[in-house]
Amino acid sequence: MDYAPARAGRPIGRPVGRRGPAAKRELIPLKILVAGGFGVGKTTFVGSLSEIPPLSTEQEMTALSVGVDDAAAVPGKTTTTVAMDFGRITVDHQLILYLFGTPGQHRFWFMWDELARGAVGAVVLVDLRRVDDSFAAIDYFEDRRLPFAVAVNQFPGTPAFPEATVRDALAIPPACPLVLMDARDPRSSLDTLVALVEHALARSATP
Amino acid sequence: MTVDGRYGWQEGGRVVPAYAFTRGRTRSAGEELPLEALVTATELATQNEPALQMEWRTIVNLSARPTSVVEIGAALQVPVGVARVLVSDLANAGYLEVHLPRPSDADGGPGHAILGRLLDGLRAR
Repeated sequence: MDYAPARAGRPIGRPVGRRGPAAKRELIPLKILVAGGFGVGKTTFVGSLSEIPPLSTEQEMTALSVGVDDAAAVPGKTTTTVAMDFGRITVDHQLILYLFGTPGQHRFWFMWDELARGAVGAVVLVDLRRVDDSFAAIDYFEDRRLPFAVAVNQFPGTPAFPEATVRDALAIPPACPLVLMDARDPRSSLDTLVALVEHALARSATP
Repeated sequence: MTVDGRYGWQEGGRVVPAYAFTRGRTRSAGEELPLEALVTATELATQNEPALQMEWRTIVNLSARPTSVVEIGAALQVPVGVARVLVSDLANAGYLEVHLPRPSDADGGPGHAILGRLLDGLRAR
């Protein structure tokens, strides 16, 4: 199988004679990660934005480096799968954006590596009653230099803190957007994406 | 992945485990297809659709509109690795066109121009 010679963005596979290049639609997939602790609202956020009902897929734990045959050759090595939510937004005739809700725990970072590669950026959802769950995600995206926005999902009964206090508590870099939002509200979720993409765009302009 | 067939469809009664129709492969040779890689059915696929095996037919039908590898995995209820193998096979047979992401900045991100279009598109919603 030879994907390597195909140039990114170009259709690959055997050329089909009856359809000239002009008839082909150049499509560009994009992705944004939605990270955060368990129960912080990742699925709700993806669902409020997605044009399809949020779907779940299984990702193999060792799929990136070890196939099933190799795993059999490694004594004691087991492969398991992790469920991952995703949604989709058709942005225009060419751009299709996928949102991937990623499990927040350290042991799933192998998935983040693949998801983060080539991503527009990430939204780190935070529940202010359980901020500890967010540190791992914030650290990870900072290390990888992936643009990210911190979105405080305001659950009913969430105490109100000044922005500076929240930034301080979460050690959010000054340039990183901090959004107070409600993941159930599509407008609020969309505003969060816009804040992230504005940030990513600004960063892409300054090498 | 497990080999006990638990990725079989819950409805529709597929009894053949997922690894069987990929002939034991859980990954494609060569470059891994990104989860978000898009596929579209070719004219050849549309013409030959009735003769294709069931999983291939399902994928060809889904790909009448742009569909990602991860959506195909979810629709077939198979892990992403299996979806990658099936998509690779269909692309090599000339039934699917694959549209890969276009990394353009130093970190492999989409780059300034595409980000600008994404922002415009999101703001217009």
